[in-house]
Amino acid sequence: MSVRQLILSVVSVLVLTATVFPTFAAAQELTFNRDIRPILSDNCFQCHGPDAKTRKADLRLDSREDAILSGAIVPGDFQKSGIWERITSTDPDLIMPPPDSEKTLTPEEIQTIKNWLDQGAEYQSHWAFITPVRPALPEVQHPELVANPIDRFVLKQLEQNGLSFSPLADRRTLARRMALDLVGLPPTPDQVEHFNQSANPETDQAYLNSLLNSPHYGEHWGRWWLDAARYADSDGYEKDKPREVWFYRDWVINSLNQNMPYSDFIIKQLAGDLLPERTQDDLVATGFLRNSMVNEEGGADPEQFRIEGMFDRVDAIGKAILGITTQCGQCHDHKYDPLSQEDYYQIFAALNDFHEAIATVYSPEEQQQRQQIQEQINSIEQQLKNSHPELVKAQSEWENILRDKFVSWQTITPTDIPYEGQKFRVLEDGSVLSESYAPTKSTVSLSTTVDPVKITAVRLDLLTHPQLPHNGPGRSIYGTGALTEFELHATNPETGKSERIEILEAITSSNPEETPLPNAYRDRDPEKDKRITGPVSFAIDGKNETAWTTELGPGRRNQNQHIIFILKEPLVRSAAFQLTWKLVQNHGGWNSDDNQNYLLGRYRFSVTGEDARPIAGLPSSVETALQTAPENRSEIQLADLFSFWRTTIAEFASQNEQIEALWKTYPEGSSQLVVNAMEQTRPTFLLQRGDFLKPGEQVTPGAPAFLNSYRDTPAPDRLDFARWLVADDAPTTARTVVNRIWQAYFGQGLVTTPEDLGSQSAPPSHPELLDWLAVELTESGWDLKHIHKLIVTSNTYRQQAVSTEKLLAVDPNNQLLSRGARFRVRAEVVRDIALAASGLLNPEVGGPSVFPPAPEFLFKPPSSYGPKIWNLSNTSEQHRRSLYVHRYRSVPFPPLQVFDAPKGDAACIRRTRSNTPLQALVMLNEPQFVEIARALGQRIVTEGGTTFEDRLQYAFLQTLSRPAEAQEIAILKGLYDQQLRRIEAGEVSAPDLLGLTDSEENRTPQNQQLAAWTILARAILNLDETITRQ
Amino acid sequence: MKHFMQNYLSPHLTARRWFLQQCGIGLGSIAMADLLAREAAAAPHYQDPLAPKAAPHPAKAKNVILLFMGGGPSQFELFDNKPTLSRLDGTLPPAEILAGYRAAFINPNSKLLGPKFPFQKHGESGAELSDRLPHLAQVADDICIIRSLKTDAFNHAPAQLMMSTGTQQFGRPSMGSWVTYGLGSESKNLPAYVVFNSGNKGPSAGAGNWNSGFLPTVHSGVEFRSGGDPVLYLSNPPGVDEQLQRTTLDAVNAINRRQLDLMGDPEIATRINSYEMAFRMQSSAPEAMDLTQEPQHILDQYGAEPGKASFANNCLLARRLVQRGVRFVQLFHESWDQHGGLTGGITNNCKATDQAAAALVADLKQQGLLDETLVIWGGEFGRTPMVQGGNDGRDHHPNSFSMWLAGGGIKPGITIGSTDDLGFNVAEDPVHVHDLHATILHLLGFDHKKLTFRFQGRDYRLTDVHGNLVQQILA
Repeated sequence: MSVRQLILSVVSVLVLTATVFPTFAAAQELTFNRDIRPILSDNCFQCHGPDAKTRKADLRLDSREDAILSGAIVPGDFQKSGIWERITSTDPDLIMPPPDSEKTLTPEEIQTIKNWLDQGAEYQSHWAFITPVRPALPEVQHPELVANPIDRFVLKQLEQNGLSFSPLADRRTLARRMALDLVGLPPTPDQVEHFNQSANPETDQAYLNSLLNSPHYGEHWGRWWLDAARYADSDGYEKDKPREVWFYRDWVINSLNQNMPYSDFIIKQLAGDLLPERTQDDLVATGFLRNSMVNEEGGADPEQFRIEGMFDRVDAIGKAILGITTQCGQCHDHKYDPLSQEDYYQIFAALNDFHEAIATVYSPEEQQQRQQIQEQINSIEQQLKNSHPELVKAQSEWENILRDKFVSWQTITPTDIPYEGQKFRVLEDGSVLSESYAPTKSTVSLSTTVDPVKITAVRLDLLTHPQLPHNGPGRSIYGTGALTEFELHATNPETGKSERIEILEAITSSNPEETPLPNAYRDRDPEKDKRITGPVSFAIDGKNETAWTTELGPGRRNQNQHIIFILKEPLVRSAAFQLTWKLVQNHGGWNSDDNQNYLLGRYRFSVTGEDARPIAGLPSSVETALQTAPENRSEIQLADLFSFWRTTIAEFASQNEQIEALWKTYPEGSSQLVVNAMEQTRPTFLLQRGDFLKPGEQVTPGAPAFLNSYRDTPAPDRLDFARWLVADDAPTTARTVVNRIWQAYFGQGLVTTPEDLGSQSAPPSHPELLDWLAVELTESGWDLKHIHKLIVTSNTYRQQAVSTEKLLAVDPNNQLLSRGARFRVRAEVVRDIALAASGLLNPEVGGPSVFPPAPEFLFKPPSSYGPKIWNLSNTSEQHRRSLYVHRYRSVPFPPLQVFDAPKGDAACIRRTRSNTPLQALVMLNEPQFVEIARALGQRIVTEGGTTFEDRLQYAFLQTLSRPAEAQEIAILKGLYDQQLRRIEAGEVSAPDLLGLTDSEENRTPQNQQLAAWTILARAILNLDETITRQ
Repeated sequence: MKHFMQNYLSPHLTARRWFLQQCGIGLGSIAMADLLAREAAAAPHYQDPLAPKAAPHPAKAKNVILLFMGGGPSQFELFDNKPTLSRLDGTLPPAEILAGYRAAFINPNSKLLGPKFPFQKHGESGAELSDRLPHLAQVADDICIIRSLKTDAFNHAPAQLMMSTGTQQFGRPSMGSWVTYGLGSESKNLPAYVVFNSGNKGPSAGAGNWNSGFLPTVHSGVEFRSGGDPVLYLSNPPGVDEQLQRTTLDAVNAINRRQLDLMGDPEIATRINSYEMAFRMQSSAPEAMDLTQEPQHILDQYGAEPGKASFANNCLLARRLVQRGVRFVQLFHESWDQHGGLTGGITNNCKATDQAAAALVADLKQQGLLDETLVIWGGEFGRTPMVQGGNDGRDHHPNSFSMWLAGGGIKPGITIGSTDDLGFNVAEDPVHVHDLHATILHLLGFDHKKLTFRFQGRDYRLTDVHGNLVQQILA
């Protein structure tokens, strides 16, 4: 096509447009946000928008003032407006958007802009960035159809389009719809029948309350939040090691069940650790920030992937809480929204203040147990103090003697650090922190050049650190480590050769008994694994099988420890020399792609040249307490001192034994990834192009100008940030959450892009309704159940879901809400409906994740990167609800994955909803679905009466919450009769169908009937309606 | 009437009709015309995402077979002969090239390590290959070697994501997903996008390598296995024979069709079709995967052995799937991470892959499929010219690596690009992963800047905001 032809065709389209849409947009006053902003945002803002760095020709069209100043816009006169000439130009060098942008304006869009310019080119702030105010309730023609204010907004628009509500859904459908929407399980037949037979407001109210008050409400809506919280039970990336985060999952469930105000719900997840008098629950809530992935691939730079985690957090907060996509800001100003790169890093800065920690957390029973143990220990110690006042004086004498005997240690900071997959960070105190990849076998060789010196003993401190599991001092899942062998080497300046320095003796405060390795660290064949841990002499015995460990048992294992190594001969050097200390750590397990390391996590090395034998055998905590002036000692230090000192007194042997026995009963607790605020926050820098190696200007926490301000908080911290997110004047926060709740009920939000309410978002279908709901939420004290009630009691919600031809023509995507929503339930509910209908469902709430049957090969190479653990749960645990199924990010559980369950790699605000053959294969053939069909078959025969029809009705009520219709009965009777004949004729094996041994005694008439019912159960479970809420 | 339908049905509705007609086996008593009429009313609001679509531009390739050599094969032992590196073996690299260089495991200032194997020129094109690749040497004139690849990441998972999805982050659609999104599927009874795994380990980025990201999930790669059930849950449960499965589906479909009448929701029609395709897949997938149907000389050519899981079997299976209309086949062979044991590791990997990869090219050619099938061989990054450990290992290296491509509009018998004398940086014709992606899409008939998907307010593409066509390798 020549340029000339092109021009002609463009012109003719324009002419055509003018005739086809003679009154388009002129009949109606144009609104900037509805009509203009989407056009400008999509076509112009990339080069003429908020991003100053890529702005072309110094022209911005997102600000009316700038646009007028530059002449691009002349209000009221389209012909004089600079943009008019450009968007209608036929010159490829002038036309806007330019050809290489791959964008073009449609003739309608051009016409709309023309009309807008003529009408005065008014701008509006983007609707979502203006704090919502309660809109007046619209008048409708048929107020009798209104059940609550929601209906007014919806009906108004329907009426404007010549429509009205669809008829109400029948009561059984409604009962099932409400149950699936509120608790994610089908209602029991009794519930359905009761609801169906007594159609009155009291029944409705009672049914709704029973659902809202069910513990399953928190599970169903908890999973809704966990999508946004990118929850998974593993680290992600290559190794994708399992992690324990189910305390967080349960916190979400419980918080929603308790109807915690949404504002608190958010504050605790972002800053629970900073709350005054914070509880364990408050800390657990910060698991939200730790649901980011962690990369411990060999050679991964820990800071690089910490930053990736920070990006992920900002992204999740943006999409899930703010309803704003922020990712652009990592590298540059946002192209469409007024979020500058600096704004982005101001949010980043508010979150850049914590260690990625793993806390020990306890169940309520364990909490109680702990408290009892602590009280008993306290009482025994108190008794000792009371009954032996004279010995308290002896303690202080003992302290005085010891204090005079401390030798001085000189810390040696290593300068030669190994290059390997594991990474080492030298901290300010000269200690070394092991990071990133955690191998199961590792020899860490550290060295430096030392000035002439005499060394009589060396000391290795094993130190805690907030970033180590449970604070450390090791990196195992318990925060412990093991030292297989300690070696000391020094160069001889005369020969230049390195010599091994002999160690006479190793001394420490804890000398564990000889113990075989726990399962976590055993070899692949545990029988052949002879390795043991025990006293500190094991660290210098030259044997690879033996090691000393920091393990002191639950309650005491996560504290500083140290070993003193006394040299056989003093090491004397008259010239500078190379001093090397090697930590051989070979007591981890066989699989470095799993949590099997038994590494030391942080170590400091020091030396002394004093001839006096150092005091050894004091716990590090006691040593520190002793070195603190008595008047400055803390309560804890005083207690530590007494607790240690009493063990040195022979007379107290029986009390000491009692206390030791109590410690042995101390609960293990569980792990939960949490955040641990740093004493001093990290400085945050704007990262150029998002590159962590290219820090730019320093940035402090703050709010983007287009959102609410921090008001009276000049130097906001993370807690202030969390409170800012849920401030009553936050323009997007309440809208975002009510919109996402709406999406769950209607299959799509009032804004169909719930993760993005910004300039590029889809315009809201019912803007006033969205604002009304947002205001309802904030004014109700962020009461989520209040919003659920409003929605479920509206007639909008209660419409039938029939798509008539007329409705499909006028309202194809049901954006006007002219009918009830109909969609396939989410992955977890697909499986849960089947479990519930069959009677197999184990309704227990909370607890560690479970492992239902899954193909073994998935967890082995080459399907998974490394071997993964999938230890089948016991039968009843296999039947727990799907939200409890262990989620590996790299190996998703297939029956959930094929139904679009998110992997947790990033916040998921809106799931896709696919409809595929793989789903059919799961429902038809997956072993657990087969087991479910058998169980339902059995249940039908046992509980469903005796006639075919009674049984079929029973099956339909369990599965579909409605009776079968004549045509359905006929179809299924046909299937039943035909297959029963085949079973009886021996063409199909009843025992096989039932999962029994194919033997004569299993081929009874009862089993044959049962098999035929299993076939029917399988068919019914596979119906589209079974997995659909309508 | 036919004319009328073609003119007035929107393209996706036509595709939908095709889908129903072609796939509507076993629809029982309800007449096809009936269903179609209902569909015509219901379907305007539904698009079958896997209906075959024509590419917007003339395409050279229809299908892709990606041989993903996970772990990062060493270019120095395979494609990039470096006599200077050999000469400088044991010496330290010049300080200036190390400025700002980060390595995963090693101290960057480690000694240089010369190539371990001798190189020779092959074919009329004179392609230079190491002696570990004797079979590839036989098809040297059919392939195009690129010695100047570059990537942005030097850890496995991010680099594999870079190669598979164009970014280092999880959550973006993979190449295969983009391709099926753009082209749909030619197969009515097999998935459009199939993935195989072989090797010592699994891919570092796991399913992130074949996920559909924010594209609809139907575009996710489906894992096939060469042993056992080729697709998860493909076999009927115990006691269910084909007739029972068929009658069950007839009953299920009949009741679903009743629902479709009542509710008018086109999704129900899709559900019926999904079940039908699942049923067809139950027979077509085992058939496609049945290597015993291949003549012995073909099995021998690949080194394939029916029933045994291997890369060789997967290569032959890839050809069989492409023959049956599968759009994108991705073979992972994760074994190439030679931090140590370089000599032995490369030798073993080549034994496991060289013959089959070369056979795939030769076989596709002899079957007349090479013209329309693009074959790509390569890993996520290369290896360092510096040694790791004693003298038999190399670390990860993103600055330069090698790949080869064949068929599907690729100029055969050429080698492009070069690295500096040490093989540290690209010297000529750099090809970034984004450029490779742009070129692959071009061969399939797409402008990589125009194949977009709106997500979170932005039009995303495989090449993000990058990518230039590699003109030299186009036939």
